[in-house]
Amino acid sequence: MTISAETRDQLRELAARYPKSRSALLPMLHLVQSVDDEVTSEGINVCAEILGITSAEVTAVATFYTMYKRKPVGKHHIGVCTNTLCGLLGGDAVYSALSERLGIGHNEPSADGQFWLEHIECQAACTHAPVMTVDWEYMDDVTPASAVAVVDRLARGEQVESTRGPVIRDFQATEHTLAFPLDGLVNDGVAVDAKMLVGLRLANERGMSAASIPAGDA
Amino acid sequence: MAELPQAVRGFGVTFATIFKKVVTEQYPEQAAKFPPKPRYHGRHQLNRWADGLEKCIGCELCAWACPADAIFVQGADNQEGDRHSPGERYGRVYQINYLRCIFCGLCIEACPTRALTMTNEFELADNNRADLIYEKQDLLTPLLPGMLAPPHEMVPGTTDTDYYANKITGAVPEQAVQVDAEQVAP
Amino acid sequence: MTITSDAGSDLTPQVEMVTVVVDGVAIEIPKGTLVIRAAELLGIEIPRFCDHPLLEPVAACRMCLVDIEGVPKPQPACAQVVSEGMQVRTQLTSPVARDAQEGVMEFLLLNHPLDCPVCDKGGECPLQNQAMTAGRPESRFDEVKRTFPKPINVSAQILLDRERCVSCARCTRFAEQIAGDPMLELLERGANQQVGTAVDQPFDSYFSGNTVQICPVGALTSAAYRFRSRPFDLVSVPTTCEHCASGCSLRTDHRRGTVTRRLAWDEPAVNEEWNCDKGRFAFTYQEQGRVTTPLIREDGQLRVASWPEALDFAARGLSAASSHGVLVGGRSTVEDSYAYARFARVALKTDNIDFRVRDSSDEEAQFLRSAVAGTAVRTTYETLEQAPVVLLIAFEPEDESPIVFLRLRKAARGGTRVYAVGPVATRGLAKLSGTLIPAKPGAEPAVLAELAEQVRAELQAPGAVIMVGERIAGIQGGATAVLQLAQATGAALTWVPRRAGERGALDAGALAGLLPGGRPLTEDSARAAVAAAWGVDSLPATVGLAGAELLAAARDGAIGALITGGVELGDLADQSLGRAGLEAAGFVVALENHHSAITELADVVFPVAVVTEKAGTFMNWEGRPRPFAQTFKDALVMSDAVVLGMLAKAMNIAVGASDVAGIRQELGALGAWTGPRAERPNVPAGPVAEGAHLVATWRALIDNGVMQEGEPYLAATAHLVAATVSATTAGALGNPESVTVTGPLGSVTVPLEIGAVIDGVVCLPLNSPGCVLYRDLGVRSGQAVTIKGAL
Repeated sequence: MTISAETRDQLRELAARYPKSRSALLPMLHLVQSVDDEVTSEGINVCAEILGITSAEVTAVATFYTMYKRKPVGKHHIGVCTNTLCGLLGGDAVYSALSERLGIGHNEPSADGQFWLEHIECQAACTHAPVMTVDWEYMDDVTPASAVAVVDRLARGEQVESTRGPVIRDFQATEHTLAFPLDGLVNDGVAVDAKMLVGLRLANERGMSAASIPAGDA
Repeated sequence: MAELPQAVRGFGVTFATIFKKVVTEQYPEQAAKFPPKPRYHGRHQLNRWADGLEKCIGCELCAWACPADAIFVQGADNQEGDRHSPGERYGRVYQINYLRCIFCGLCIEACPTRALTMTNEFELADNNRADLIYEKQDLLTPLLPGMLAPPHEMVPGTTDTDYYANKITGAVPEQAVQVDAEQVAP
Repeated sequence: MTITSDAGSDLTPQVEMVTVVVDGVAIEIPKGTLVIRAAELLGIEIPRFCDHPLLEPVAACRMCLVDIEGVPKPQPACAQVVSEGMQVRTQLTSPVARDAQEGVMEFLLLNHPLDCPVCDKGGECPLQNQAMTAGRPESRFDEVKRTFPKPINVSAQILLDRERCVSCARCTRFAEQIAGDPMLELLERGANQQVGTAVDQPFDSYFSGNTVQICPVGALTSAAYRFRSRPFDLVSVPTTCEHCASGCSLRTDHRRGTVTRRLAWDEPAVNEEWNCDKGRFAFTYQEQGRVTTPLIREDGQLRVASWPEALDFAARGLSAASSHGVLVGGRSTVEDSYAYARFARVALKTDNIDFRVRDSSDEEAQFLRSAVAGTAVRTTYETLEQAPVVLLIAFEPEDESPIVFLRLRKAARGGTRVYAVGPVATRGLAKLSGTLIPAKPGAEPAVLAELAEQVRAELQAPGAVIMVGERIAGIQGGATAVLQLAQATGAALTWVPRRAGERGALDAGALAGLLPGGRPLTEDSARAAVAAAWGVDSLPATVGLAGAELLAAARDGAIGALITGGVELGDLADQSLGRAGLEAAGFVVALENHHSAITELADVVFPVAVVTEKAGTFMNWEGRPRPFAQTFKDALVMSDAVVLGMLAKAMNIAVGASDVAGIRQELGALGAWTGPRAERPNVPAGPVAEGAHLVATWRALIDNGVMQEGEPYLAATAHLVAATVSATTAGALGNPESVTVTGPLGSVTVPLEIGAVIDGVVCLPLNSPGCVLYRDLGVRSGQAVTIKGAL
């Protein structure tokens, strides 16, 4: 694949947003993933050229962060949180079920190029554990069966919605949003629900508050 | 009793000795009469793995250990198609100067791959200095049955670790093909 | 460690001192010093891997953990600055520090392979040593180690064994902070973290060899030294690099009469702890293609001769000729150049001598006589580092004097502004964050004359430096314009030749019109003093022929005999003139260490020593003598000076000392000249050539140079040989992949690159594989060529 002139312009637009252009590297790599489905060597070279840094420096960033893939991801990225809380509440079982359903392991694409499975770290959604993500959209409170059902529906090409509302598009579309977050989708779906606020409510009812910071102890 | 003259008494000793057991070894005619003990420090030898690859990795630890500065080693890189030992490195030049060697065996202790051991061979004499510097080909053990003369690749599917763990039992036909091909090529 | 300058110490602000206690011993040191340095000053060694005094602290390896009172956890001494009253306890007095260090060492060794017997670092490895001093005797790790395929090439020369890496980031920090080539980076994360390059983009830095030297484990090794020897085999001798005028301190390691490797040696005032890859790896030439015996020409054929026979033959040939000339290649030591200078004036009674057997001009000779030879040292590496502004003219430091480049880069990182006058904003200039003052080749004098007022004002600041390269000789009016600019602004002017011997040869008097110490030949008192020192009644009083004039005279049959010392015909822009000159000269005596085009033309050839076989001195661009000792003490090859001494003896002429000590004494007794200097050049600027494409060219650091022969790994790290043009020029050519460049002698086809070149100029390497301009095209810098897109 080649990075088109249009994509180059968009990359330049991102680079121009920051006082130090290399700050733009992370969204630029997301943009590369949105067009190439992975961070290609060509994409790395183009980013390096636009930012005036070396390809090695871009490679260092692209290999450090796990959200950047050096192999084509496929249509959908499936992540299952297997950190302590999600794992104990069924995340490990969800992951195993998906792994069996798709026939792939951690950070592998499925044979048909439709799915990519990944153990992911905490998504800050422990309220709804176990949590799975599809193209980085939340699927809260999943079970092995519901997770496999989501994958089955995606495989059939049916429309699937996140448990918080937004319609699942595909990996590349999400990557584009990550590069250009101001595409109007930011307020789609539920950001905070009642379950997340249970703790706050209980604390308020019982007059609980955090200990104040002692003076002079920074 | 009158004392016998001193000279005659001397002959008495001679006469008595005639009937004693002879300790002199008739070397070299009767060399086998008193073979060296098994732990005798004799000439060195450079050993091979079961498939014929050399154990020496050219690390020079023997040379480092040598108190007499009798050993000279020059390492080299095993190349594709020119492999002499498992792993990356082999001893391209290996010399022991038997004019200097004191047969202390510190080199044997230093060898990390048991490439260097000592034989019981003690007949190390010559009429010139040059021939007493033994080269690698003089020190390498002969090829035993099942061994192939290097250079050849490792047993397919194995790594140097397998060699060091002594998992190699002998050369395989694939290696024989390589050796044959090399013999034909030049 | 870098020693700070004491020059201008009264200008340095008062340093605030603090008192810290390390292991119960108090020391007063400047605020901001690192704890590890404070400990060093007390003689307390804290183990470390990532710490390097010339690199910024990173605290990556965690080996130097120490216990600081009042801080709950052990802190890395290499990143912690001292504060008043700080109580530091190292592993020597604190069980906490000892335990922390042992723990770190155990972690570092978890995945480290047991490669020591086959590792090139074995025997001089900080990890080996510190595992002994600061590690636990036994590891508790009995799992399977992480492995990587080994080794991989990060460049043709540099090999990387990732299993051995302890992720100290010394190599990547060197690449970024010192060399400015961040092509080596830490990739991946966590347990998979590894050093690496971008795909298909090798670490082709001119300074890559330094990473091998500073790697505290055997992770980075060089292909050239791979498995060649062990540290305990080697005899190490300090020496000076013979490749360029930077004058680096090196350590030559040899085994059984063969150089096995060379390392950068610590010389804070010159190369700090660095050198370039050419200086490090290009030494195999010393053994190949050597002239081993005297040769004399008989019936048109060279034949082996004995020394007495050859000396006698040469003496008769030289005595028979009525006019002489001496050509000294730019690679001689000061002592050898002095011997040539003295031999020419005393034995041959001629002033026809020149060390510039390359593109040279009369204007340059005048410039050198008047403003460079024998002048007091004004600009040094240190003053360069402190200069507010540096202007570069006809000089590409990264290629032509790489350690000057490194120091300029250090200066630029500290705020020095760098300007370059020329047609190309090179990669090197970009790394210096420099600004190009555009000038077509040949138009530099005009541009200098009309320099922007702001730059001119900057150059008037105290400490400003103008650096001019030897390529100024190829620009008519260039030296005149530079001198005028220096005079007008008060900036320090310094001349940076390319070769190691040129600056010394100039001071030794190996140039027509110039006697040792910068004495003008035309000054009666100078001549009388030198004549007295040399024990002769008089010296030639008229300025002799130099440069192209000398060769032209030889071609026209006006020179009866020539002596050449280390001359390469390929250095001459007009090679046919050089060849014709040597062919037409009645008698040619060549002092050479290698067979070359010169030995093919000579009547007598004497073998002479290379740097490892003799002692001597190179004078670097600063004017700083860089003496070196003989590496191979039992070498039987004689230096040029000794051979010239024997030759003089065969001619029945006394020329004085020919041993190094004797020559140094003679030179020292003469001293520098303080009297009136030769007149400055006053040459008007020449016209800029007509033509759509003018050539801008210089020699790449790694190229076809004869002293880089026999080192294929080094050659493979050379920069791409290409024709570089501006985007506009490339567009006008139709953006072809490669182009055919044609000059009067022929053409070359090279890839086309787009770069920061001014329109109408094509930048080509002067002497690189597939592109030898003087030989293949017959053009020099500033001349016009035609370019066509290649099919």
